[in-house]
Amino acid sequence: MNDPYKVLNVSPSASDEEVKKAYRDLARKYHPDNYHDNPLADLAQEKMKEINEAYEQIQKQRKAGGYGAPGQSYYGTTSSGYTSADPSMQQIRLAIARGDISLAERLLNAVADHNAEWNFLMGNVCYRRGWLDEARRYFETACRMDPENPEYRQALAAFNNRGYRPQGYQTVSTSCGSDACTNWCMAALCCNLLGGGGYFCLPCMF
Amino acid sequence: MFGYVLPSQSRLDERERERFRAVYCGLCHTLRERYGFAASLLLNYDFTFLAILLSEGGEERCETRRCAVHPCRGCLAQERTPALEAAADRTVILSWWQIQDHIADHGFWRGLKYRAAALALRCAYRKAEERLPCFDAAVCTHLKALAALEDARCASIDMAAEPFAALMADAAADLTDGKRRRILTELLYQLGRWIYLIDAADDLKKDTQSGNYNPLLYRYHPENGALSETDKLALADTLDASIARMAGAYALIDYGVWTPILDSIFYESLYGIGKAVLDGTYRRRRRLRKQARKKKSNEETL
Repeated sequence: MNDPYKVLNVSPSASDEEVKKAYRDLARKYHPDNYHDNPLADLAQEKMKEINEAYEQIQKQRKAGGYGAPGQSYYGTTSSGYTSADPSMQQIRLAIARGDISLAERLLNAVADHNAEWNFLMGNVCYRRGWLDEARRYFETACRMDPENPEYRQALAAFNNRGYRPQGYQTVSTSCGSDACTNWCMAALCCNLLGGGGYFCLPCMF
Repeated sequence: MFGYVLPSQSRLDERERERFRAVYCGLCHTLRERYGFAASLLLNYDFTFLAILLSEGGEERCETRRCAVHPCRGCLAQERTPALEAAADRTVILSWWQIQDHIADHGFWRGLKYRAAALALRCAYRKAEERLPCFDAAVCTHLKALAALEDARCASIDMAAEPFAALMADAAADLTDGKRRRILTELLYQLGRWIYLIDAADDLKKDTQSGNYNPLLYRYHPENGALSETDKLALADTLDASIARMAGAYALIDYGVWTPILDSIFYESLYGIGKAVLDGTYRRRRRLRKQARKKKSNEETL
């Protein structure tokens, strides 16, 4: 196994508090909520497992001769245990869970009744594919048609979750960015002269 | 269409800026050595960004080199690496097809400069095509799909962005490490989607006047080429979602020395650039910057 300190990116001389902080930051970064329905969810889960193990190992080492019980890690994986009463919808859910998006879409297109669940699953298919505008619209429709359903609400909430940002980066978004980030680093020479519409200048010739 | 992605200045110290500049200059030299002078004029920030994404996390060797832009002092440029070469090949192919697209879009006289550019790049393109036949074919297919969607006046922004996003994703298709390929494919897909939508937002006014296809016109039906506040929020939201997906994928690769630059891009500057484009201040700022630089170089010549 890798060096647990390397995994958490702290030095072996770090205090318990620092290790905990590093662990928490990484756990926030790879938290399953950030990868809800994401095609890369399995890789994030792998990473999460790795840092959980590293943290446990460090705790065990530091408690040398202590209780011997593995330290408790805070974040596990959540899995949605939702199923469908409708067999055709259940089949679509299974296809999505397997990652077979084109099959799921084919099956969805064959369904005539566009109820809340259909919209929810269609949103899921779009989300996996990266079609985020459509995904949002389907999720919203599903929530409108069945406002009480926790699964649809959860999907919309996960969609609105903007994921992890390292410390100091929390505030910006496209609709309300801060002015601090409006100065872009310019390497400042020639940009796309032949690609059309670019510009060319010689800023520091002499 | 290219040239939007830049790290934000305030986040980077001098060393990081130097590192970014070294990749930029390194890519320029690689383009020139591999494909001739004309190809080095295709250089832009998005391809520099691509070169960083395709590189491993290790410290690369740099050397001071002179070029047409820095004839006396020279500048620090990264030495050729497989990542720079890969980025250079993709630069030539993507730019070639972009120019072909411009030729098809413009009439005889207005398309003349693109025809000239294509002429200058023909040799470079042939070479790149030989090196990456699969990528070239994929780009061609995706652009045909894009043209078909444009002709059909597609009203879904996701569907319209799909071909461009998919062709960006194909830039990672020949990586041998399966895990890395999966992550980069996802990242580049969302990057392509973001670039396509940003470009559409940036051209909205122009396209409203000229009647060219723009997916935002059909999705939001803006009046006089300006999006309403609610539509702007909706578009900002879907752009945010793309950036969040990119950041999620980016977190899964260890980029070593590139982490500060990439952090500043994924966690901040993409949002800032999106905001500037939606506010309509992006072009104005670019013009101002250009004027400032012109003034500076005039003063220096005097």
